[in-house]
Amino acid sequence: MTADSPPIPFEHADGPLTGYRVLDLADEKGQLCTRLLAELGADVIKIEPPRDGDPTRQNGPFFRGEAEPDRSIYWWVMNAGKRSITLQLKLEAGREILRKLIAMSDIVVETCVPGESASLGLDYASVSAANPGAILVSVTNFGQAGPYAKWAATDIVGSAMGGQMHVSGDPERGPLRSTVPQAFAQANVQAAVGAMTALYARAVNDGAGQHVDVSMQEAMMVTMDHAGPTWDIRRVNTVGPGERRQNAGIVAGRYLFETADGWITALQVGGLVGPKADPIIDWLAETGEAQGLDSLEWRARLVAGGPFPPQDREKIEATMQAFCRTRKKEELVAEAQRRGAGWAPVFGPREIVDSKQLAAREYWVRVHHEDLGESFIYPGAPFKLSETPWKQRGRAPHLGEHNEQVLGLLGIDAAEQRRLKMKMVI
Amino acid sequence: MAGTLKKPFEGLRVADFAWVGVGPLVSKYLADHGAEVIRIESSTYPEALRRVPPFVNDTPHIDGSGYYANFNSSKLGASVNLKHPRGPELAKRIVAKCDIVTESFTPGTMAKFGLDYESLKADREDLLMISMPLYGQTGPWASYMGYGHVLQAAAGFNHLTGWEDGPPIGTGVAYTDFLVPHIAATALIAALDYRRRTGKGQYIDFSQLEAGVLGLWTAIVDWTANGHEQTRIGNHDSEAAPHNAYRCKDGKWVVVACATEKHWEGLKAALGRPEWCDMDRMRRRWQRLNEQKEIDRHLGYWFADFTRAEAEDEFQTEEGFDGPPIRKFTTKQVVELFQSFGVPCGIVQSAEDLASDPQIVARGHYWPLEHSYMGLRQYDAPGFRLSKTPAELTKAAPTLGEDNEYVYRKLLGIGEDEYYELLADGAFE
Repeated sequence: MTADSPPIPFEHADGPLTGYRVLDLADEKGQLCTRLLAELGADVIKIEPPRDGDPTRQNGPFFRGEAEPDRSIYWWVMNAGKRSITLQLKLEAGREILRKLIAMSDIVVETCVPGESASLGLDYASVSAANPGAILVSVTNFGQAGPYAKWAATDIVGSAMGGQMHVSGDPERGPLRSTVPQAFAQANVQAAVGAMTALYARAVNDGAGQHVDVSMQEAMMVTMDHAGPTWDIRRVNTVGPGERRQNAGIVAGRYLFETADGWITALQVGGLVGPKADPIIDWLAETGEAQGLDSLEWRARLVAGGPFPPQDREKIEATMQAFCRTRKKEELVAEAQRRGAGWAPVFGPREIVDSKQLAAREYWVRVHHEDLGESFIYPGAPFKLSETPWKQRGRAPHLGEHNEQVLGLLGIDAAEQRRLKMKMVI
Repeated sequence: MAGTLKKPFEGLRVADFAWVGVGPLVSKYLADHGAEVIRIESSTYPEALRRVPPFVNDTPHIDGSGYYANFNSSKLGASVNLKHPRGPELAKRIVAKCDIVTESFTPGTMAKFGLDYESLKADREDLLMISMPLYGQTGPWASYMGYGHVLQAAAGFNHLTGWEDGPPIGTGVAYTDFLVPHIAATALIAALDYRRRTGKGQYIDFSQLEAGVLGLWTAIVDWTANGHEQTRIGNHDSEAAPHNAYRCKDGKWVVVACATEKHWEGLKAALGRPEWCDMDRMRRRWQRLNEQKEIDRHLGYWFADFTRAEAEDEFQTEEGFDGPPIRKFTTKQVVELFQSFGVPCGIVQSAEDLASDPQIVARGHYWPLEHSYMGLRQYDAPGFRLSKTPAELTKAAPTLGEDNEYVYRKLLGIGEDEYYELLADGAFE
């Protein structure tokens, strides 16, 4: 540690969770959850198997494409702000240390297949025996019990079984998953809510810990929007509407339009349809591109909101599409917003990083990787708390970077640590 | 045991001015776990979701939307017209009885009625308030309008959802509406715990865009560190192959993914070790990533016969000779086979499938609740269960102003005469 590189992770003395400790034994379904807790102030200790480390260190993409455990961008993003220790939970000596760590922790997050956690000392019986106040958060594919509890799954299986893929995609090409893993994302953020709720419940119930059972499949169901009530009430199944929207299972107007430099999204055929259509019709009329839609008769029909026979719908959508194609997306969005229509540009990662809005909000943070001699822009605060701010706490840890520190906490001295290392416990 | 414990948020009261998706889903967590959440609405400016389908009997009705109902279980309903001369004062008096205020209006709206954090805090020192508009309280886009359907575009989800040769169609839903509430709830409950320990409230400036970017996984840092811009690749994956959806005999789709060598070995065994699996260029995961199209072609042949046997022609008369391929297995057969070999595999389930999915039913996900206008309807529980203090959906969504008597008369102590005077004067509209 040099003066240029303060200890990782940085202190966070004034977060809302400062003073709490979290043990992270999670895979992709729980690492973002614990990262959020670290950024809110908790001391998060990532527990990795000795030698090879956590398997997710092998997840791409890698910095400059070089597949090494400390160059996984996945690892960087999901584990920033945590400490790392190595511990062999397949050995009793390792589990003994785990029990001591649990005794001084508040939350334990694990992602074992149900039934396999007991052999690692991560089932609720073992955890609560070590610390009755501990909150065990188990994030699994389908939940702790039930007929699919032991099924194998990755993100796409969660997206399929949880219903998201059925409402995404289009009728011609079938169901579609988001290329960024949203079933994993949902499992993580809902696990965080579960952990926080249990933490609050503990305080009002004399310190009683409990087991939080998170199902990736069930977590994904919220992303079906109103497909559940639509089935319950109308007995209609919602399917992916492609470039259109769907309302209660009915495919509605187009919401995606190509522009000179990309795409924009806009509900109700860009606002040409519905009670607020007039200013948009005026806009097209001012530039001479309304194709007759500004006639009194058309206006009345557009403002009334339809429904329109297919040839009319085609005309309305073609008019809007032709209007957008000759213009740039950010100019279109700015003018549409000025006229009262809720448009938004389709942004990729580069445009998001360049966004004026996020710059004005001072959203981005720079994270220093002193081992590489470089620093990179990371996403910043997902929320601004006035009293207890969110804080980025530096890069993700190297494998076992905090072994001495954390084992020291347990009163395990240097000689004993060497012995544990020889026995492959750490 | 559960009976003797307090619900997590028992005794806390929430004034919920938020609307549409994000805000109501945040306060639903609090309500389903014991808080008294009062939805504060208006019939003059009704909550947008009350006006969108699905409606009971397909007939628009202010209390008949299943969309609204599902996000508002366990809550009370009060109504106030903020444009009535006494409206803002009544709202302020409700807030003074509350621990938490949630809202999701365009920035400045609450302040216009004297309901901004600074003003509300004057009456309630330890107030915790969260504002959750699309783009946050400041910046050039602060006043921009929209819904989750378009915010998913600005937040990157359209760019990253679609077929690789097609447009950025997005997720088919108002996606950010279903991602960011959980992040807001995490911040809110963490701040609530801080308040419990210190007695200090605070204000949370929450931007749906900024929280949404969290869901982009590695896409941002892959760009800022590597200069590589990730984009949509259909149902493929940059880390796993095979990885796709395939159609089956029953018309439904299954997904199959091999993220590890173990998954791949399982798939090979399940398929009966066909020759193509053992080709040199299929050996390692990174090699298979380059062979996704080839793998899809081979798996396509496994799922379907593209050559038609004579005996099957009669089933295909409507489609003609060049009709679709014969699909060999049902989704159930495929999933049972692949899962028995440890291969990640699942059915692309519809809302109908989920309503009777044995796993979801075993978890007690759906809560049937009786609503005075809508009748018995299914409500969604959260994606997690607390073993000792689980979510409990105590009632169906409120009808508009359903609990006005309780809120105004009992909570605020407004006398009968004044109450009916306000009612007659339109203060609750």
